[in-house]
Amino acid sequence: MRLFIEQLLNGIAMGSIYALVTLGLALVYGIMRILHVAHAAVFTIGAYAGLFLFQLTGSLIVAFLGSMACCALLGVMIERFVYFPLMKYPPYVPLIGSIAVMLSIEEVCRLVAGPYILTFPAKLPFPDVYLGGIQISSTLIAVYSITAAVLLVLWYITTHTELGLAMRATSQDISISGAMGINSHVIITLTFVMGSAIAAIAGMLVGIYYNQVYPTMGTVPAYKTLALIVVGGLGSVPGAVIASMLLGTAETLLIGYANIPLPRDALAFIAMIGVLMWRSEGLLGSSR
Amino acid sequence: MKYITILLFIVMACIFVAGTGGAADTIKIGLLAPLTGAAAADGLSVHNSVKLAVERVNAEGGLLGKKVELVTYDDRADAKDAVALARKLIEQDKVVAVVAGSYSTPSRAVAPIFQEEKIPAVAAYAVHPDITKAGNYNFRNGFLGMVEGKAAAYVAVKILKAKKIALLVSDNDFGRTLAEGFKYYMEKYAKGVATIVSQQAYPMQEKDFKAYLSKIKQDVPDLIFSSGYYFQTGPVVKQAREMGITAHILGEEGADSPKFLEIAGPSAEGFVIVTNLNRDDKRPAVKKFLNTYEKQYKIQPDMVGASAYDAFMIICDAIKRAKSVKGPDIRNAIATIKNFNGLTGEIKRFTPEGEVVKDVQVQIVKQGRFRNLGVVSDPELITP
Repeated sequence: MRLFIEQLLNGIAMGSIYALVTLGLALVYGIMRILHVAHAAVFTIGAYAGLFLFQLTGSLIVAFLGSMACCALLGVMIERFVYFPLMKYPPYVPLIGSIAVMLSIEEVCRLVAGPYILTFPAKLPFPDVYLGGIQISSTLIAVYSITAAVLLVLWYITTHTELGLAMRATSQDISISGAMGINSHVIITLTFVMGSAIAAIAGMLVGIYYNQVYPTMGTVPAYKTLALIVVGGLGSVPGAVIASMLLGTAETLLIGYANIPLPRDALAFIAMIGVLMWRSEGLLGSSR
Repeated sequence: MKYITILLFIVMACIFVAGTGGAADTIKIGLLAPLTGAAAADGLSVHNSVKLAVERVNAEGGLLGKKVELVTYDDRADAKDAVALARKLIEQDKVVAVVAGSYSTPSRAVAPIFQEEKIPAVAAYAVHPDITKAGNYNFRNGFLGMVEGKAAAYVAVKILKAKKIALLVSDNDFGRTLAEGFKYYMEKYAKGVATIVSQQAYPMQEKDFKAYLSKIKQDVPDLIFSSGYYFQTGPVVKQAREMGITAHILGEEGADSPKFLEIAGPSAEGFVIVTNLNRDDKRPAVKKFLNTYEKQYKIQPDMVGASAYDAFMIICDAIKRAKSVKGPDIRNAIATIKNFNGLTGEIKRFTPEGEVVKDVQVQIVKQGRFRNLGVVSDPELITP
């Protein structure tokens, strides 16, 4: 039983990290119907920018805020200079553009920072927690707290503010919401700002959590998050979060109990194939 | 007129380049190393160290009256890249011998090519048995996975006095062969003394070991044998200590890298490895290498670099003794090497299969550096 609870806690942490990376992708897909693969590269830049600022200033707060600003800017630039001009073509054209952007950013990271694994020796100020004989390490607590905070802020913005209303309207129908006086381009820009800032948090968190920052750290998230938004229901933010949590937990339990050296990434795609076969709109997607 | 000048300049430049490229006044030795990709830190160490070896040989007058020239290519630890680059080394660069300074997977892919072309190749630190099985032109200066695995088990049982051992193994050529050696020793020499309580394998890309470690924690072993590369064992050690696991953690040469110390951070204290470079070696040549390396490159030297350095020096020594740069002559000279004074210990000899015979070093992390803990010199264990 104790082992099960420990594994569950590990799994939720894994799921939280997936959720943070997937959120931006789900937000962007919801609004623009673009598979924003380059989001994983924004995540990598987030880790590098955070590490650089941390080494420069020694302050984690500055690193987090600076990295978020940096990624927000990058996200908006990708939208303005890559997706916006390509929107008039069939959806695979922006997708190819997105893949190109991702590979380019990865190579830039390699050229600028070198191909080596850099370490991120920051300590997140969270305590170890003991609950009924189970030790929850400070890194797990950090992951839970930061994810919860991000989700809470995002939930508040999308449900309790006018911006959120406008975002939901835009995601339902971009031309009608435009006719109702919503400046859809501003909403798109803000969506990229939010999604990319969350990616920055995710990048830094992963960098600190595993103490590793390297140019190809976005490769696995790039395809895994795609599977996750399909499973969650394309464009559904709550669906993406639930899918991430389920996957993180399932992967961890599978390792903990079955001990198959199956690459844990395979599970995401098995789930995706299953969803496509039996419930093609995804867990929380609308069958529109 | 201007164009003619430019044209003339280009032609001259071409002649100049062709002239230097075609000159046969150097002896070319090839080096394959993973300079980019996940293994980049190992590749860098290999390249840095072999450059020091080249400087030393040339400063001492070169080989057979000629300078030695190193031709290095980046195989990204990838078998496909390595095969193309091995062909390039042989056909385009016309190297006389090769230091295979990369991981098992690419090294076993290129070994048959060197065999076929009769180019002697010395694998610096790759552990897979197939490399030397490719034929008599392939040698190995590192330990066979079996030997190192056996030595690791010896350290676990005899030096660290472990009774309950958990295995956590990287699921690839490297991790699997080491685990086999470990289990072989346990089966043959440690029956009734110590037992393996759990065995788990993780895929190459794994970053999060908490699921594996939670399970290990349940079994309360007094030693964890963590077999993998520095970018795997580093997180294993860090996460294990975060989770409050206090058992000894024993690794092998894959964790012998300054990057390991960086990734694991303060959790690295007390971590033990079996490897082939002793940091506290008293011999002057070793001391000089360790000092020069750290001064010149501002990072700590490690076993992959030292092994590649030795592989290069073994080839140079063979060329000197053979007084020839022909493949078969160099091969025969390498095969008859005796008590060669290398950085990674005294190389007693090569077996007919091309496997090195030398002591296994045991190192422990103290204050962020690897330090001497002991040595495994039992011929029964270290002879492949």
